[in-house]
Amino acid sequence: MDLVLLLQRVCDALFNSAIYSSLALALVIIFRSTGLLNFAQGEMATFTAYIAFVLLSGPQPRLTGGGLAGLVPGVPFSIPLAIIGAVLCGMAAGAVTERALIRPLGGASDLALVNITIGLLLATNSLMAQWWGTGPRIFPAIFPSGAGQHFSILGARLRYSTVGVWIILLSVLVLLVLLLRHTRAGLAFRAVSISPSNAELVGVRVGPTLMYGWALASGFGALAACLSANSVLLEPNMMLRVLVYAFAAATLGGLDSPKGALVGGLIIGLSQTLIPAYVPFIGFELSVLPALVAMVVILLIRPAGLYGTKRIERV
Amino acid sequence: MVDTQRRFSRASILGITILCVALAILPFVTSTTSLRQASQIIVSVLAVLGVNVATGYGGMISLGHGVFVGVGAFATGYYVDDLSLPWLLAIALGTLTAALSGALVGLPALRIKGIHLALVTLGLAIVFQPLSKRFPKFTGGVSGTGIDARFDAPNWWPGDSRMASAVYRYLFCVLVVVLALWVTWNIVNSRFGRSMRAIRDNDTAAAIYGVDLVSARVTTFAISAGLAGLCGGLQVLLVPFVSQDKFPAQESLVIYASAVVGGLGTIWGSVLGVLARTVVGKAGDAIAGFDGLGPIGEFLNLLDEPAFVFGAGLIVLTFLFPRGLAGIGRKRQPSE
Repeated sequence: MDLVLLLQRVCDALFNSAIYSSLALALVIIFRSTGLLNFAQGEMATFTAYIAFVLLSGPQPRLTGGGLAGLVPGVPFSIPLAIIGAVLCGMAAGAVTERALIRPLGGASDLALVNITIGLLLATNSLMAQWWGTGPRIFPAIFPSGAGQHFSILGARLRYSTVGVWIILLSVLVLLVLLLRHTRAGLAFRAVSISPSNAELVGVRVGPTLMYGWALASGFGALAACLSANSVLLEPNMMLRVLVYAFAAATLGGLDSPKGALVGGLIIGLSQTLIPAYVPFIGFELSVLPALVAMVVILLIRPAGLYGTKRIERV
Repeated sequence: MVDTQRRFSRASILGITILCVALAILPFVTSTTSLRQASQIIVSVLAVLGVNVATGYGGMISLGHGVFVGVGAFATGYYVDDLSLPWLLAIALGTLTAALSGALVGLPALRIKGIHLALVTLGLAIVFQPLSKRFPKFTGGVSGTGIDARFDAPNWWPGDSRMASAVYRYLFCVLVVVLALWVTWNIVNSRFGRSMRAIRDNDTAAAIYGVDLVSARVTTFAISAGLAGLCGGLQVLLVPFVSQDKFPAQESLVIYASAVVGGLGTIWGSVLGVLARTVVGKAGDAIAGFDGLGPIGEFLNLLDEPAFVFGAGLIVLTFLFPRGLAGIGRKRQPSE
C-alpha cells in the first residue's frame, strides 16, 4: 500500500469530516433536548447557503427568467460577513421553526414530528428550486484553494481550506462549550436536556430554552452548508446526501452525545474517502452506501452508539 | 383502535359512486395521452396504499417506498424484456421481488423502531438512485432502458386502434387497483390485520397476547412493499421505459406525504391522498398559466410544485386534521 497516497486521502477526507461533524452536531443538539430527528436540517442549511450566496453577489435571477429572489435587496458583502449573516438567518429560522411548528404540538407522537420535519424538507426543497432554479451555482471559495495553496506533510498535501474549516469548527465548539458551561442559558439548556419536567419544576423556562437550542443547531447547520457550498456546488439537493453522512455520524457517536458527533463525523468522513478508494465495487458514486449500512448496523447492535446514553424502555 | 369500520358509511358510498362514474366516463371523453396519464395516477394509489399498510396499520414509518416502486419497475422490466416472460407473470414476479426486498428491509425494523426506522428508510430512499446506477444490467444505468415488449389488447378486444389499446390498458390497471384495494381491505380487517394494529399500538402487549412479532412485522413490510412493487410493474406496462431518475428521494417523500395527507389507517385515505395530489397538480397547472402577476404570480407558481404543496399540506394537516383528509368530520378515537 502506498503510504503517501493513504496520507493524502486522509488529508482530503478531513475536510468532509469537519462538514459532517458540524451537521451531526446540529442534529445531536436537537435530538438531545427534544428527542426529535430533524430531517429538514439539511434543507434548512442549504437555504442559508443560498442566503449567503445572495448576500455575496447581490440579487440572483433564476437561471430561467426572473424570480422572487430578485426582490431580495442584495448588497455585495465580504465573504466572512455574508457567512455570519447567513448563520444568523439560519439561527432565526431555527428558532421560528421551534416556536411555530414544534412547540404547539406539545408532546406529540413520533409520527407527527416526522410529518412536520418531512413537510419542511419537501417545502424548503421545492421553494429553493423555484426561487433559485435547480442548476448548480458556483459558491466562491472561502479559503485560498488554488494550486500550491497547501501545507506539505511527508509528501501529502493538506489544503488550507481543510485547516481553515477545522479551525472554524473547533473555535465555534470552544464557544459552545463556554456557553454551556459558564452562562445561565447554558445551564438551563443542560438541565432541559437531562429532564425537561424537572427543569421546569426548578423554574427553568423550557420553551425558550429549547428555542435557543434550535437556534444553535440551525447555526451549526448553516455553518456546515456555507463551508461546503464551494466544494459540492450550491444546488437545492446539495445537503441531501450530506444529511445521510451526518445522520450516520450522529448515530455512530450516539445520537445524544456532542462528543460522539465530532468523533462520528471524523470516522464517517474518513471511511467515505477510504472505503471507495480500496473497495472497487463501491466507487465514488456509491460512497453513501457504507454510511447507510454503518447506520443500520449500529442501530441494530448498539443503538446508543459510541458515547450515547443507553435507553431503557419501561413496559 | 376498535374495529368499527366494517360497514360503509354514507359518505364513503357517495364517494365510491362518484368515483365509479368518473372512472367509467373517462375513456369516452379523453385522448390516448390523457388516458395514459389517468392510468398512471390510478396506479400510483398502490404505492400510497403500500405506505399506508406499513405506517398506518403496521406503525412502521417508511419514508422509502419509492425504492420498492423502483424495484418493482426494474424487476418487471427485466422479466418481461430480458427473460421474455408474459406480462402477467412478469408483473406478478416483479411484485414478488419487491415484496422480498421489503421483507429484507423489514428485518432490521424488528429492532429499529419509530423515528430511527424513519431515518433508515430515508437513507434507503437517498441511496437507491446511485445504487441502481451501479447495476446497469437490470436498470439501464444512468440513462435507463426501454422495454421492447408491449402490453397490447388481445385479438378479441373490439377495435385495434391505439385508443382501443389505451382503453384496454386503462381498464386492466383499474381492475388490478380495485382488486388490490379489496384484498388489502380484507387483510387489514382479518385476524392478521388485528395483530398488525395491536403491534402498532403496543408491541409488548401484542406479544403477550400471542402475536408473533417477527413474522407479523416482516409480513406487513413485505405486503406493503409488494403493493408498491405492483405499482412499479404497472407503470412499466403503461410506459415501457424504466430509468433511475424516476425514483429520486423526493418521490419517496411525496408518496409518504400523499399517504399521510389522505389519511393513515383507512383504505380510502390512500385514494383520497392520490386524488388530492391530482387536484393540486391540475390547480397548479391552471395557476401557472397566468402571466404578468409579477412577484405574486411567482409565489403562486409554487402551487405548481406538488412537493411544495404536499410539504406545506403535511405541516398544516398535522395541526388541523392529524388523521388526514379521510379523518375530517370523523370523531377522534379516544385511543389516539
